Amino acid sequence: MSVVDHNAIELPRISEAEVGDYLALLKPRVMSLVIFTALVGLVIAPGHVHPILAFTSILCIAVGAGASGALNMAYEGDIDALMSRTANRPIPRGRITREEATAFGLILAFFSVMTLGILVNWLAGALLAFTIFFYVVIYTMALKRWTAQNIVIGGAAGALPPVVAWAAATGSLSMEPVLLFLIIFFWTPPHFWALALFRSDDYARAGIPMLPVVAGPDATRLQILLYTIVLVAIAVAPWPLGYFDAIYGITSLVLGAGMMALAINVYRRREGSTALRATRRLFAFSIFYLFALFATLLLEVVVRAVMAAIG
Amino acid sequence: MDEKRMPDGIVLTEAQKRSRRQRSIAIALALGVLVVLFFAVTIVKGPVVLLRPM
Repeated sequence: MSVVDHNAIELPRISEAEVGDYLALLKPRVMSLVIFTALVGLVIAPGHVHPILAFTSILCIAVGAGASGALNMAYEGDIDALMSRTANRPIPRGRITREEATAFGLILAFFSVMTLGILVNWLAGALLAFTIFFYVVIYTMALKRWTAQNIVIGGAAGALPPVVAWAAATGSLSMEPVLLFLIIFFWTPPHFWALALFRSDDYARAGIPMLPVVAGPDATRLQILLYTIVLVAIAVAPWPLGYFDAIYGITSLVLGAGMMALAINVYRRREGSTALRATRRLFAFSIFYLFALFATLLLEVVVRAVMAAIG
Repeated sequence: MDEKRMPDGIVLTEAQKRSRRQRSIAIALALGVLVVLFFAVTIVKGPVVLLRPM
């Protein structure tokens, strides 16, 4: 007779997670914006960077951003399950456990920082480590569930990739990457508060103190307008200050006028479907705004290179 | 004495075997990329790669 009751033994969980589930942990859409802004930081940096080193830098920054996403999802597995926007992520669906996601995120964070430090330079490696730390510990663990200013302060993590890329290219820091940082930093609140305005039920259900949940939609609309004014001013400033050229300056003015018009629209339209449409339009345009601003900086570099080649 | 024969150890289902193989291949590819990357950067940097001031 067996002395072991086999029915009482809890068998270890065997994972059926596929590679796609792990890729989803990396937040590919966020990662694509990180790659793009980092690429701009790298390209506008002075001097020549060998393509292999440039590729290594962008790869490490992308993997570091992915690690941050995985660690964020590992920590937020409980609240992700409560929000319709995030309920399909691998952890709420039961594809990956929080422990597996934590291990995955930590391994990627370690390898991305060490590879960038060893192969490129340690200033860039240290900045990447700080970015991951800021996103995971300061934003995800400390701020997100505690204060309505979560995305204002936490926005610093999303604004750092072009700074890391500039450091990777030059081994130092200067005013230009700080300007790129400030543009993304002041872009983050209007962008995420527009999202929070039409997802406030989701955030309220999950107990996340986003501004519309804590202060109400009208106060959020005012904050969106104020941050948009600061954003547009900061985005245009590098032109008169002489850091970026006229192509960027004029594009920034035109795009800024669009952002302002949509933010004023959000501020004025407060009821019904027109209010919802206004916030959705601002949210969508804000993505285009940032993409177009940074794409213009890339274009400027190309134009400058062509002009130099011609004569 | 009713002694039901238990399988030795844990037997994976086909889905578990497939996903494990997929993950193993992904890890192998990632490690391969890392090796190639270190090799390529070593070639690019040349002898300078040996200078590692603290």
